Amino acid sequence: MIMTANAPILALHEVAFRYPDGSVGLDGCSLAIERGSRTAILGLNGAGKTTMFLHLNGILRPQSGTVLYDGAPLDYGRHGLHKLRSRVGLVFQNPDSQLFSASVREDVSFGPMNLGLDAQVVRERVSAGLDAVGLTGYADKPVHNLSFGQKKRVCIAGVLTMQPDVIILDEPMAGLDIAMQAEFTRILDRLHAEGLTIIIATHDIDFTYHWADTITILAKGQCDATWEIPQIPAALDRFASYGLGIPHVAELHNTLMKLGVLDNGTGYPRSHQELVDCLNGLHASP
Amino acid sequence: MLIEQCAYSNSWRLVSPAAKGLFAACGIVAAFLATSPRATIIPAGIMLAATVLGARVPLRHYLKVALPELVFLAMGVATLAVSVSWDGHIRFHMAGQPELHNIARICGRSLCSITSLLFFCLTTPMSDIIALLRRLGFPEVFLDIMTLGYRTIFVFLEAIHDTTTAQAARLGYATPRLAMRSLGILTANLTMQVWQRSHALHLAALARNNDGPLRFLGGEFRHPERNVCVAAIGGCLLMVLALTGI
Repeated sequence: MIMTANAPILALHEVAFRYPDGSVGLDGCSLAIERGSRTAILGLNGAGKTTMFLHLNGILRPQSGTVLYDGAPLDYGRHGLHKLRSRVGLVFQNPDSQLFSASVREDVSFGPMNLGLDAQVVRERVSAGLDAVGLTGYADKPVHNLSFGQKKRVCIAGVLTMQPDVIILDEPMAGLDIAMQAEFTRILDRLHAEGLTIIIATHDIDFTYHWADTITILAKGQCDATWEIPQIPAALDRFASYGLGIPHVAELHNTLMKLGVLDNGTGYPRSHQELVDCLNGLHASP
Repeated sequence: MLIEQCAYSNSWRLVSPAAKGLFAACGIVAAFLATSPRATIIPAGIMLAATVLGARVPLRHYLKVALPELVFLAMGVATLAVSVSWDGHIRFHMAGQPELHNIARICGRSLCSITSLLFFCLTTPMSDIIALLRRLGFPEVFLDIMTLGYRTIFVFLEAIHDTTTAQAARLGYATPRLAMRSLGILTANLTMQVWQRSHALHLAALARNNDGPLRFLGGEFRHPERNVCVAAIGGCLLMVLALTGI
């Protein structure tokens, strides 16, 4: 693969894919993911999110259109896919569909072993991967004795040990309680701070508004809209038209602006806490 | 899942599986080297003591796991020792002295082999056993099937539990007829799940760059060479005891 300066790290160009039963996976979908960005893909069930992710990892091959990594079309040869999958990690929604071994250490080592790395290097990566997701000391535990959230973290560790540039997470918050979601957000923040490009599919609009840099709406296999987070408050009506819900903070902030309680000087709070801080700041100022 | 629980919680969990495997193998060899029934009982007792006193597997758990094998052995011994004939009345015939001696030897060998295998499987998790077999050069396909089979046991146990709970909540097992119907639906549902989950695992393997046999990093154990030496010495002693019948 030839690296192109300033090109998006991943891109889809007019990608179309239909499953053998005739159902549409992607239908002329175009999208660009910038290096180091946090992108949330939103869409109703069956919109094509998982299909898109399988294309980005080279598991599915577009029937028309092109998938690009670092500005170059994907090489679907054995060597090209090996290289792509070591750079683009994919974490599936259901951890039980991803975990092979009954031992945490073994499962986390699966990816780097497939890269043909030396056992000592794999050992160090496994240790670092488990550290990164807060599972230090769990290496010798059996996978089936872990909680759902811990299994999800093992899945992420298994991908991190391959040291990818991009990590794609399909519904990472599904099935997690509030505390685990907060812990997960911290893990994602840490990974982003380390320079990873993160793409997630989610139905949690408020989390997305708080966490992501860019939101892309996927509808009927097409990337229908892409917004930077600061553009969202002005586009709430269109956002709402997709039936995905709207960020409550943005809606409340807009209302407070209309009522004259807040003005443009307060910026755009992205979480409930930031909005509360804005209001408290208003009250504190003379 | 008692075996699983013991294998992960015993005090010899971090002893090299190669050492435990070697000691267990010596126990099985000792069972066949034993010159008399009494000589098989000694290594069997040592294996039991190593499991319960050494590895601290609770005796209650040990007996629960051993019970089906012991019942099976007792039934086998009983049918060998006593034969039944019918000539208008049921008649029981006891085997003669030489046959009884042979039966006792078979029983002792079986007992010694059972305690040896129980020692290994109650002190060593399956993932360590598979890793050991991999190091010993067992065929990859066989080991891959073992790995996936073992992992999916737990996945499907959970699926069975969830489905039967959902069925029971809707009176699925209220009568024998409904129970049969529910079991049929459960089987059909699981068949579909097996297909879907195997496909999902295949995709997950591809996503992590797998293109052939499943490769994993082996576990880390303290002083593996020393443990293997100790196991070899212990194993030799077992065989000597069996041979001499002390």
